[in-house]
Amino acid sequence: MTTKRSGLLTRRSLLKTTAASSAALVSGVGVSMFNINGAFAAMANPADVLKDISVGKMVKKEYREQYKLGDSDELWDSSKDWIRTADWEAIRKEHAGKTVRFAIGAADRESAQDQVAPFEALSGIKIDLVAIPDDSMYDKVVAEFLGGNASFDAIQFFSPWLGDFGAQGFLKPMDEYIAKWKVPFDDFYPTYQANYGNWADKGILGLPFDCDIQQVHVRPSIMKKVLGGDVDRVKSIASYDDMIRLAPELNKAEKGVNGIGMMCGRGFWATYTWQHIAAQHGLQLFNDKWEPIFNGDAGVKGLETIVALSKHAIEGVAAADWPTNRAAWLGGQIACNISWQDSGTQATRADQSKLGDDVMTIYEPRVAGGTYAPPNIAGSTSCIAVTSPEPEAAFLMLAYLTTASIMAMNEANANGVAPGYRSVLTNEKMRAVSQPCKVWSEALDYAWCAPRLPQGFQIDQEIGFLINKVVVGEMQPKAALDEAAVKVKAIMEKNGFYKGKDPMNFAATEPGFWMGKGKAAPF
Amino acid sequence: MKKRFETSPWGSAVLWLWAAVCLLPIIFFATIALRPRNEIIAPQPIYFPTISMETWAKIFAEWPILSYFKNSLIAVSGSVFICLLLGVPAAYALARYTFKGREDIGFYILSTKMMAPAAVAIPIFVLFGQLKMLDTVWALMVVYAAMNLSIVVWIIRSYMVDIPHEIEDAARTDGASDLRIMWEIIIPMCLPGIITAAVIAAIFAMNEYLFTLIIASKNAYPLSVALANFSGGSDGIIYNAIALISFLAFFPVLLLVVSIQNHLSRGLTMGAVKG
Amino acid sequence: MSDIALEAPMTKRPAVRRSPFMRKAFPYFLLAPTMIYLLLITLWPGIYAVYRSLYTGKFKLEWYGLNNYRELIMDNAFWVSLWNTLFLGSITLFVEAVIAMALAALVYRSGWARGWRIVFTLPMLFMPSAVSYLWKLLFNDGRVIADLVRRAGFDYGNIDWMSTAFSARFVLVVADVWQWTPFLFIIFVAGLQGQDKEVEEAARLDGASWTRIFFNISLPMMKPVIAIGLVLRGVDILNNMAAVNIITQGTPGGATETLSYFIYRTAFRSFEQGYASAASVLVLIVTIILAQTLVRRFFKSGTEA
Repeated sequence: MTTKRSGLLTRRSLLKTTAASSAALVSGVGVSMFNINGAFAAMANPADVLKDISVGKMVKKEYREQYKLGDSDELWDSSKDWIRTADWEAIRKEHAGKTVRFAIGAADRESAQDQVAPFEALSGIKIDLVAIPDDSMYDKVVAEFLGGNASFDAIQFFSPWLGDFGAQGFLKPMDEYIAKWKVPFDDFYPTYQANYGNWADKGILGLPFDCDIQQVHVRPSIMKKVLGGDVDRVKSIASYDDMIRLAPELNKAEKGVNGIGMMCGRGFWATYTWQHIAAQHGLQLFNDKWEPIFNGDAGVKGLETIVALSKHAIEGVAAADWPTNRAAWLGGQIACNISWQDSGTQATRADQSKLGDDVMTIYEPRVAGGTYAPPNIAGSTSCIAVTSPEPEAAFLMLAYLTTASIMAMNEANANGVAPGYRSVLTNEKMRAVSQPCKVWSEALDYAWCAPRLPQGFQIDQEIGFLINKVVVGEMQPKAALDEAAVKVKAIMEKNGFYKGKDPMNFAATEPGFWMGKGKAAPF
Repeated sequence: MKKRFETSPWGSAVLWLWAAVCLLPIIFFATIALRPRNEIIAPQPIYFPTISMETWAKIFAEWPILSYFKNSLIAVSGSVFICLLLGVPAAYALARYTFKGREDIGFYILSTKMMAPAAVAIPIFVLFGQLKMLDTVWALMVVYAAMNLSIVVWIIRSYMVDIPHEIEDAARTDGASDLRIMWEIIIPMCLPGIITAAVIAAIFAMNEYLFTLIIASKNAYPLSVALANFSGGSDGIIYNAIALISFLAFFPVLLLVVSIQNHLSRGLTMGAVKG
Repeated sequence: MSDIALEAPMTKRPAVRRSPFMRKAFPYFLLAPTMIYLLLITLWPGIYAVYRSLYTGKFKLEWYGLNNYRELIMDNAFWVSLWNTLFLGSITLFVEAVIAMALAALVYRSGWARGWRIVFTLPMLFMPSAVSYLWKLLFNDGRVIADLVRRAGFDYGNIDWMSTAFSARFVLVVADVWQWTPFLFIIFVAGLQGQDKEVEEAARLDGASWTRIFFNISLPMMKPVIAIGLVLRGVDILNNMAAVNIITQGTPGGATETLSYFIYRTAFRSFEQGYASAASVLVLIVTIILAQTLVRRFFKSGTEA
């Protein structure tokens, strides 16, 4: 590709376009950009650009006012924020003038758009955003990988697909770049490192992007009516039995508000809710030969819990996917919601919800004889295509987009993209802005996660079809899970498992299943 | 003589009732487009919301709505043009000539309308992938045209069939060629039919969903799948944006339909019913 | 039109300047572009779907013979979706036809016919996916229907429409009926307006009641028009997946999963292209046979005016 020399030659013409486009978008950079003073001063001074990657410039005004955030408050630890430690001069020297194409779900394109100009001002690398509708993303991506000339260098996608792309060798390992550019990968919680980053024994294939966890959120005003006292994050719903016991009362406590919200829609949504609850019963999906064993006791108990809860759940629970559940919760129709962490943040934002202060994210309810295993379920990760002509530049873009400060401000903006860094989630200012943050960060050291199997998404779908039948009373839990286990085994067999050399190494994957293994539970 | 039911109070009550059934959801939908997001879903429905244009400003600022509109316009009008270019001569042949295989060809053309989109979606996706045409308005144009060609041919054919043979014969006697007859006599005489066909093809193209979803990803996004942007992202279902876009697409269609309303039934049935 | 016809000389001398071959070939030339275009875009997918249905795998295609078909025939979900398609489709079609016919009978001689037609047509002009969101909001997310039921004096609480097969199907039927009854209405009005008024008037003078006139005279005369409306609407119902995808996704337990949604989710959710292609091929064969017979039966060809 372009040599470093020609990179230097093109920089002058680059200057013009960069200055024009980024000056408009990155206010405050414009002036210094024209201080021509040495070889690289032609481009914006990194310090000036970085100064504007700040709460004052990137967090919505109404949220800053709501939480009394100062413009230069740091929701992160600058020593762990890669963009503030990176050697931008070196990056420019090697990569300025290149263009990387970044494929992203169409609906999330706009949020990525804001970062195009600052990154270009810092690195001289242009970003071309390729938005792909989520509905056809998988097929488009596969078609392009197989065609050998993908229209993108980097891609952000739903983490359950990591197994499909990883097993096929579509993704380029990043270990070398992470070491070279000193990206603080270790700052990610181990559950994200193991399940969004590393894949089996193939190295680090992804930089964790949207680092999700499922949690339980309650409305204190309604809980108070039922409990007769204040709500405690640990004790008020200490176990799922407590939740089942409280559910009918919560359901009656206020007109128009239902007791329980959860996602039991047909397909993968129902599977995730089941995994969440069954994990607390000690759910293991597979034995060490990758044979499904989720139809055991823990799986059945988890499903029975869902059935018991669904009796007092909001109407439409059997069709509830995440968008539907989110709408109902933020609209104030639910007293106690089992969902992703962002439900706990978005509820506090006046433009998204009317709940305001009436929301509290509690510690994962425990189960007698079970395990403490808060579930890390189905976020997204970002990877480099093995076909990319500019893998290193693509990597630098991903490192920028996933850097601690930008991720922290995503969370402060409650836009649903979640940070996975210890240095961010333990930051006191961050915790003040994001209500679920403390409980969430403490949960991560015990996190449970399903392995990113090849065809993992199809497996999630098939299990979910059967769980949906249980929720609507068409099947018994045990029978449904038995049938699901047979189906899952068939899918895996079709995809190369149980034939001597499994497509995914069990020993390398197993440590990511449950971070709480061998640790004493906190409660 | 007994009183006609349709003029009795009962009859008009039924009509008014159905008018209400048609209109009330539309009015409600319009209020959705006008209210802030946190008033759309609540413990009890809010029938009289705060009216706010803020959403509009926000949606127009954050999303390239005009480019969706432009894509719709280009793809739809291009497809209509292709349909007419190919369809008018075909309709002329089917309507005005007797030749071997005419019935079969006519029915084959019509039967392509009956194909299930889900059944051909995958191959169409692969086909355009191989042609390197994914995510272009050209691909949308080609698909919309293929989808509507059969209707266009049959609508225009039904109008051409009605033209008396004598006119053609006279012109032929005067030495006009077949092409001239088509261009100078037949086409002007069935212009209402051609316009009807064009409008109906435009409406179907405007609303096409499945193929569009599969083909368009960034550059080619038209209005019909722009809705997917407001339901699949980390922001959940944004109902007021969905309502707003729906009305944006609705008004041009309404205008077209009003313009051809007397020919609508004939068009929708491809001439099988003389409207 | 007829004025011109009268002026035209009535001689029937054919054009002379063309060779017999050209005269024979001319209509085929006119048809060729359309035929080639349609064949390319319909035949190719058909062939590809057949080819793909014989393979399995997502990345490396492996020969699978007829196994996809075998698995499909054993797949309960496929048969359930077929049954749902027929069941839901025929109920929807029936309800739409009855309402449309009633409205058409009330409207067709009214001086206000045009005004009513515009009002009744409005739902049809929205994008199908938008209408699905509208009904999802009215029934489920926004609780509007349940609230109206309560205000009408029947307090069932927040009705869970998605909990039973009956109510979830009801929602889908309502959404389709609301949007597409206008389609049949427009056709039926045209049919009624086009029929011979004298027969009816004569019957009326004989003292026949309006019900007898409608059922014994108007309706039988309308048969072909009704048939065409039902065929076109039926095909559309068969192909509609937006509502299922947006409102129910097949819940509860698959009771609202239609064939087109089954194919869609197999191909674009489970990414089993081979399996989905096999289902597509079966659907294609059925629709082609149906289309060919229905089309021949109900659409007139030929040059006669």
